[in-house]
Amino acid sequence: MNTAQKIPVTILTGFLGSGKTTLLNRIMSEAHGKRIAVIENEYGEVGIDQALVINADEEIFEMSNGCICCTVRGDLIRVLGNLMKRRDKFDYVLVETTGLADPGPVAQTFFMDDEIHAEFSLDGIVTLVDAAHIEQQLGRSDESTEQIAFADVLVLNKTDLVKDKALDRLENRLRDMNRMAQVVRSERANIPVDTVLNLGAFDLDQVLKQRPTFLEPEYPFEWTGVYALDEGRFEISLDDGPDPSMSLVVMSEQNADDASLREGAEWCVRQYAESAVLIRPGEVVPAGIHVNLQLDSPGRKSFFLDIDEQTCVGLYAQHTAEEFDLHLANEKGQKVKQEAERVWVAQHEHDDEVGSISIEREGDVDSEKLNAWLGVLLRERGVDIFRMKGFISFKGESRRFVFQGVHMLVDGQPDRPWGDDPRRNQLVFIGRNLDEESMRQGFEACLI
Amino acid sequence: MLDLKDHSPRGVIHRGWNANVEDYAIAGSWGLEGKVLVVADAVGGVYAYDGKSGIRIWMQHKVHAGGILALAVHPNGTTFATAGQDGRVLVWGVVEGQINQSIDVGTGWVEHLEWSPNGKWLAASCSRKVHAYSSSGVEVWQSDDHPSTVSAIEWSSAGELATACYGRVTFFDAPTGHPFQKLEWKGSLVSMALSPDGDVVACGSQDNSVHFWRRSTEQDSMMPGYPAKPAALAFDDTGTLLATGGGEAITVWSFRGDGPEGTRPGILDFHVQPVTKVSFAHHGMLLASTARDGAIVVWSLQKDGTGESIGTAMLADLGTELCWRPDGRKLAALDAQGGVTVWNIR
Repeated sequence: MNTAQKIPVTILTGFLGSGKTTLLNRIMSEAHGKRIAVIENEYGEVGIDQALVINADEEIFEMSNGCICCTVRGDLIRVLGNLMKRRDKFDYVLVETTGLADPGPVAQTFFMDDEIHAEFSLDGIVTLVDAAHIEQQLGRSDESTEQIAFADVLVLNKTDLVKDKALDRLENRLRDMNRMAQVVRSERANIPVDTVLNLGAFDLDQVLKQRPTFLEPEYPFEWTGVYALDEGRFEISLDDGPDPSMSLVVMSEQNADDASLREGAEWCVRQYAESAVLIRPGEVVPAGIHVNLQLDSPGRKSFFLDIDEQTCVGLYAQHTAEEFDLHLANEKGQKVKQEAERVWVAQHEHDDEVGSISIEREGDVDSEKLNAWLGVLLRERGVDIFRMKGFISFKGESRRFVFQGVHMLVDGQPDRPWGDDPRRNQLVFIGRNLDEESMRQGFEACLI
Repeated sequence: MLDLKDHSPRGVIHRGWNANVEDYAIAGSWGLEGKVLVVADAVGGVYAYDGKSGIRIWMQHKVHAGGILALAVHPNGTTFATAGQDGRVLVWGVVEGQINQSIDVGTGWVEHLEWSPNGKWLAASCSRKVHAYSSSGVEVWQSDDHPSTVSAIEWSSAGELATACYGRVTFFDAPTGHPFQKLEWKGSLVSMALSPDGDVVACGSQDNSVHFWRRSTEQDSMMPGYPAKPAALAFDDTGTLLATGGGEAITVWSFRGDGPEGTRPGILDFHVQPVTKVSFAHHGMLLASTARDGAIVVWSLQKDGTGESIGTAMLADLGTELCWRPDGRKLAALDAQGGVTVWNIR
C-alpha cells in the first residue's frame, strides 16, 4: 500500500498538567474541515462536537518472548482496527496518552501490527513539557525522559512561569537529549497547528529543514566576528557577562566568506585544545594562541590588540559578542564595524544519559555489511535506542533508501532518485548511553 | 495463481444475489432456518434480506450511535441481537425488524455478543467485563474486570461461557457467573475457537502464533511461525479440523489421533492476500475463506487437514464475514464496501 494513502496519526504525550488537553482542544478548534478522530487514554475534556472521541484504557501487551521491543498497545490495535472500517469518515487520528505512558509500545504498534501498519502511518510524536516542572520530573521518572527522547516535536509549555535564562538552559538540556526534535515554546499550548500535524516527521528531510544546524559539528567556541583593521593598537572591550572569564583565539588573515570561516574554525579547534594563557585587563592579546580573558572585576574591561600591517582578523570567542557586549575600537575610540559574524553550535557537557548521535558520511554502503552491523547493534542495544531515522546510499541503487525505527524495529523503503545530488548517508540515533565512537566506526566499516 | 479477473464465480460457487448496505458490512447471520439474512453495517444500520431472492424485507438506520460491532441470531432463529459503540445491546425480531429490548451494558464499546446454544442466555462483553442476560434482557451476572478488554467470547456448552483476553482464557459457569477455570498464557489472545465438545481451546495470539489448551488434561502447546497474527480461526462441526488464517496461507490442524502436536498441518495455498475469515459449512468438511483482496475460496478438506480448492469467487473489497446457510447450500459473504453477496453452492 502506498504511504500517501495511509491515515496519519499524531501521538500526544506529556506528563499530567503539561497541557495536552489544551493543545488537543486547540487543534480540534483550528483544524477546520478536517475530520479528526481522537483516541484518549486520559479522560480529559475534549469539548469539540464534530470530533469523534473514543476513550480507551491504556492496555500494554507484552509478548511471550519477553522482548520489550515487541510490546504493543492493545487498545490502539482494537480502536484503530475499528476506525479503519470507517475510513471515509475521518482523515486524521490523534492519540492522547496518559501522563505516565511509555511512548515505546505506542510507536511500536505502528510497526508491529500488520493491519495497523497497512492502514496508518505514524506522522509524529509530540511531547508537551511543563517548563516549570520538567526538571524535577526528569530526575524522578524514566517515563518523562523517554517521552522527550521519543519526540519529534517538544512543546515547551507554560513558559510564562519560568525565567528566560532558565528556559534557555532547559531548552539546551532537552536538545542534548533529543537533537532530532523541533523545540517550540508556548504559554498555554498556543502554537500553530501545523507545528504538530502533518509533520512527516519520520522523513529526515523535514527534520533538517526545520533544524538546519542539527547535523553541524560542535565547536569549543560559540561566536566569530571578523574585523578589517589598519596598522595600530585596538581595544577589545567587554562588559559584565555570564562568566568570570572567556576563552578567545585571535586569528589574523581571516577572510569573511563562509568557507574561510569554516577553515578558520577548524584551525582554531586545535588552538582551543591547548591550555589557555591568562590575560588580565589592560594586557595585550597575542594573535594565534588560545587565551583566557580575565573578566571577574566589575564594569567594562579593556584588552589590546596590536596590528603590524593592514589585515582582517577573526575573533573566535567562547561566548557571543552580545553576552558581554563586546566591542572593538581604534585608538581614537571609534568602534570598528564587523565585516562578518557567525554563530557556531557550541560544545557543552552532556549530563543526561539520554542523548543523540548523528552520523553523516559520503559514499555508498554495502547492504550486506550494513544489515549485519545494524542487526547486531539493534539486537544488543535495541532496548536503549529509542528512535532512529535517516537515509542510506546503497551501492547500485538509483534511489535513496530512507528508514526509521523504534527500539529494535526498523522500517525502510526506497525514496526519491539521487539524480545529480552527491550520494551520502545520514543516520540519527536517540538513545541511552550510546557509544558514539564505536557506532561511528561500525557504520564506517560498511562504506565501500 | 488466483485469476479472478472477470470476477465470475467458478467451480461449486454459482451466482445467487447481491445487495448493498450503507457502509462497511461488519456482521451478519442467517435467521428463520436460512430464510432470512440479517446484516449490520459499521455506521449502525441493520438490514434483513429474503434468503432466496435477496429482496430487502426491512431496514433501520443508525440504531447504534457510533456504529455496530456485533450481531448474533438466537438459536430459535426468530430473534437476534446487535451490539455497538453506544454501549447498548438491542434485541430484535427477525421478521418485522422491531426492537423488543434495549439493554444498557456499559459506557464502553460492546464488542462481542453470543447466545448460549439453548437460547437461555445472551452474553455480551464490554471493555474488561462480560455480562450475561436472560432471554428477556435481565442481567443475570457480570464478571469482574478481566486483565484487558475482552477479545473474544464463545459458549463452550449451554451452561459454560469462555472469554479470551490478554494473557488468559476464562470459563464462567452460566447460571452463577463463577469463573471456574482459567487458562493462562503470557500473550495477547486476539481470537478464539472451541472444539464442539468444548475440550480444546485454540487462540490466535498477537505474536503470530496459535495456542491450544486441552481442558481435560490442562495440557497446552503453541504453534508458532505464522507470518501474521492468526485472527481467523474455525473448528469443523466434528471437532477434527481447526482452520487458522494468519497470512496468505490457511493452516489446517488435524486433531485425529494424537494430533495436532507433532503432525504436519495441511496448508491451503491459493490466496494472494492475507486471509481475513474462515468458516466451515455445518457438515461435509467444506471450508470457505476470504481475504483482504475480497477473494473467496471454497475448499474440500480431508481428515488429515489437506484439501483442494473447489470453487472461487471475488468480492468488491476486503471480505469481512462468511455465513454458511445452515443446510450448506448457500454461502453469504460481506465486504468492506458494504457488499452483501450470496452464492449457491452445488
